[in-house]
Amino acid sequence: MEDLARHISDQAKRRGAVFADVRILYRRAESVVVQDGRADKLSAFTDRGIGVRVLVGRCWGFASADSLDRRRAERCLSDAFALAEASQEFVSDPAMIAAVAPVQAEDRRQPEIPPAAMPVKEKISHLLEWERQGRAAGGEAVVNSIVNYSDGQREEVLANTAGTLIRTVGSRAVATCLMVASDGKMLQRGMEHRGIVGGAELLRQITPEEFSVRATAKALGLLKARPAPAGRFTVLFHPSITGLLVHEALGHNAEADAVWAGQSILEGRLGETLAAPTVSIYDDSTLPGAFGSYAYDSEGTPSRRRMIIENGRLVGFLHSLETAAKFKAEPTGSGRAEGYDCRPIVRMSNTFMARGTVPLAQMIRGIDRGIYLMDGHWGYVFVQKGQFICHAGQARMIERGEPGEALRDVSISSMTLDTLKNIDAIGDDFEMKMPGMCGKEGQSAPTDCGGPHVRVREVVVGGQHGE
Amino acid sequence: MSKTAYLDVCQRCVQKAVALGAEWCDVSAGAVRDISVTIEKSGIKTADAGQGEEVAIRAFVRGGMGYAVVSGRSRRDIEASVERAVALAKEATADPDFKRLPAPQPAPEVEGLFDDRIAGMSVGEVVRIAVANIETGRAMEADANLSGHVSLAVGEAALASSTGVAIESRGTEIDADIEALVKRGSDSGYFYDFDFGRNLADCCLQTVAASAVAGARRFLGAKRIKSGRMSLVLGPLAAYGFLGGIVSAANAESIQRGRSYLCGKVGEAIASEHLTIVDDPLIPRGLRSGAHDGEGTRRRPLTILDRGRLVSLLHNSYTAGKACTESTGHGTHSGGIGASNLRPALGAKTAAEILCEVQEGIYLESGELRADPASGDLSASIDFGFYVKDGQVRFPVESAMIGGNILDLLPRLDAVSSDAREEPGILMPTVRLQDVQIAGAE
Repeated sequence: MEDLARHISDQAKRRGAVFADVRILYRRAESVVVQDGRADKLSAFTDRGIGVRVLVGRCWGFASADSLDRRRAERCLSDAFALAEASQEFVSDPAMIAAVAPVQAEDRRQPEIPPAAMPVKEKISHLLEWERQGRAAGGEAVVNSIVNYSDGQREEVLANTAGTLIRTVGSRAVATCLMVASDGKMLQRGMEHRGIVGGAELLRQITPEEFSVRATAKALGLLKARPAPAGRFTVLFHPSITGLLVHEALGHNAEADAVWAGQSILEGRLGETLAAPTVSIYDDSTLPGAFGSYAYDSEGTPSRRRMIIENGRLVGFLHSLETAAKFKAEPTGSGRAEGYDCRPIVRMSNTFMARGTVPLAQMIRGIDRGIYLMDGHWGYVFVQKGQFICHAGQARMIERGEPGEALRDVSISSMTLDTLKNIDAIGDDFEMKMPGMCGKEGQSAPTDCGGPHVRVREVVVGGQHGE
Repeated sequence: MSKTAYLDVCQRCVQKAVALGAEWCDVSAGAVRDISVTIEKSGIKTADAGQGEEVAIRAFVRGGMGYAVVSGRSRRDIEASVERAVALAKEATADPDFKRLPAPQPAPEVEGLFDDRIAGMSVGEVVRIAVANIETGRAMEADANLSGHVSLAVGEAALASSTGVAIESRGTEIDADIEALVKRGSDSGYFYDFDFGRNLADCCLQTVAASAVAGARRFLGAKRIKSGRMSLVLGPLAAYGFLGGIVSAANAESIQRGRSYLCGKVGEAIASEHLTIVDDPLIPRGLRSGAHDGEGTRRRPLTILDRGRLVSLLHNSYTAGKACTESTGHGTHSGGIGASNLRPALGAKTAAEILCEVQEGIYLESGELRADPASGDLSASIDFGFYVKDGQVRFPVESAMIGGNILDLLPRLDAVSSDAREEPGILMPTVRLQDVQIAGAE
């Protein structure tokens, strides 16, 4: 793989590319689905190929092929040149690349239990046991249960015209659990999700009590919950919702490709105070074991911690080699590509808000009438408008400083800059347990997010009835 | 590889799987070649191209399923994947609900799914479509910030099974999606539009930017509104997503497993009599058209909602076997279920007339109305919406949300428009829901 990557990179240099990189990728993954007491569907996935990116004149060209055959790789290079040349005269914003210090490295992260080392039969037995205990916890109220586990290994070689040659080998494992409960009138779902940079050891780390049994408890709890009220409230975010806030509302806006393209509300705001003075937000791909961590990004830049908001002030963006050049900034190791057939784009890794000083009980006491949002499920953002939405699987009313009745199915929507300024208390706790796949431009990247409990004034809650 | 060569690969894989112990097996194989040109900051950012081949093997032993997917054309990799699929099927739990894979059901391919002109387009031609959009958008609004893609894909595929299914197909697709951002001081308006087709003659790809820019201008000057109950008019894009979500919930697997808000509703009225939805996979040149589904079942038009009554579910071969009925031809090769071209029946009033009748409400031009698949609860953001008063669209709204339960909302659907946006195979009318809870930030 190294020889081929270096050969194509050398060819690109000889043909006059301003810059070129070559990524060769080999991925294997397997998944097990257990549903309603049966190992329902067992799957395997194998993928290998090459992606060649060239900067020719003022424009990028990128071509890929699902083969490591030398002639097809050379054809990819020719295609990439032709693609770049076809667009030259229509470029309004010439492509650039930061000065790249050549890196020659190998990063091999051996999981405790490599995915292929555990027999499928053993994986199935873990899932069946989780599911059995989850169903037992709910009795006949549980009408459907799905437990899913997948693990896979990714081996990647990167070579570029600056002389970089990096081989990375790593694996990730993910487990999800869905329990559906019924009271005869209504159905409700409880979900749990775990993910690690590692292998099949995840199966031995998870206990049913904190996974499937917890998912069942959530579903049962939601059967007794009432719909949320609609309107504007003071809202208390559980760390999982804080994670969605920093990822969706701020993080995507801080991706420098969006900023440079004039698509982010943070364009031209560097150095300004945009959040409450107690707010500091980071993206850090060096956290050991965290789902969004990696040693080198897909452009070969070493991983690092990036500060985005420091004490309320916008201090930095996430950069690829190209955006770093355009902003005259340091590359931050945020250029990530999902597969060999994708260009690297600016992505988050593990994004979080730093802990504050306020105990949870004190934050609750300070709310006369509000909503406590828990169990972050999903979110999305329109960076152009700065409008985001976060969905919570569970919630509770807070009345006169006390937690009240349970609420079900709540989303919030707000404007990013308003929300960051309306944060009036940050908890002294911290949790980052939101491993997931973040989507952008058709690519997905493993990320995590979290933070402390956070209290925010004047958030719009999409409830089902008026006050 | 030629098209026939893919069928040969499939048949060889099926034979090998059966020899290894698969009781049932089907294999799909094919190739996709694509070109994509990216627009950023109202200029060309990059041009990308890719080509890939894939073989997917599905094997069953005592009803348990093993599935393996491999990219590329390496014979060794493909054979290893066949072995893995069979090995996994042997490890899977026996499933008595699995009955059989579909038998051969010959049917002529739907017309117009492959266009030689798209297949023969050069990168330069794709770039020129992108440039035409940039010029169109900038001519309307010199400072408009345009972004998006113009992409095409050319594919060929084959499917073979242990029951004797042997199908070959090919298709083309081209699309342009353009986003426009327009600024006036500190105010900004943002919108998007798209066009796509299987055949170049069905598309107006060069002018997508015009409607994106016009939309972005309309979204300048957004204001906050008060919470309240009011009418909700879903424009074609928003309505299509909303109705598509209901059809997805009519997935027989979800209902047989007991996890859908439509459990126990088959045969019942779940919506007002204004709502009829047909799924039609046989429309020539339709985006989601095709003679067979991913398992080789012959497809046919299917009425899912008839004047508000849920009359049919979407089945694949597994759910059909379990329910002792016939597959409706909605199976995917990986074992899932998916709809094709949705065609809601049109109503009597035009979209303009429907809007004119609204005393107070929201016109949602586009937005994701995603209901919880189990409870039907819905808590969604008004992503691209306007406030409507006395039949007039007044201003775009920000920081507002929609709440409700889909089974409460559907009986309050009181109009489907007589006019609709049409995309190849797909019909997108405007619909109106009455008495909907809106949460505002005012």
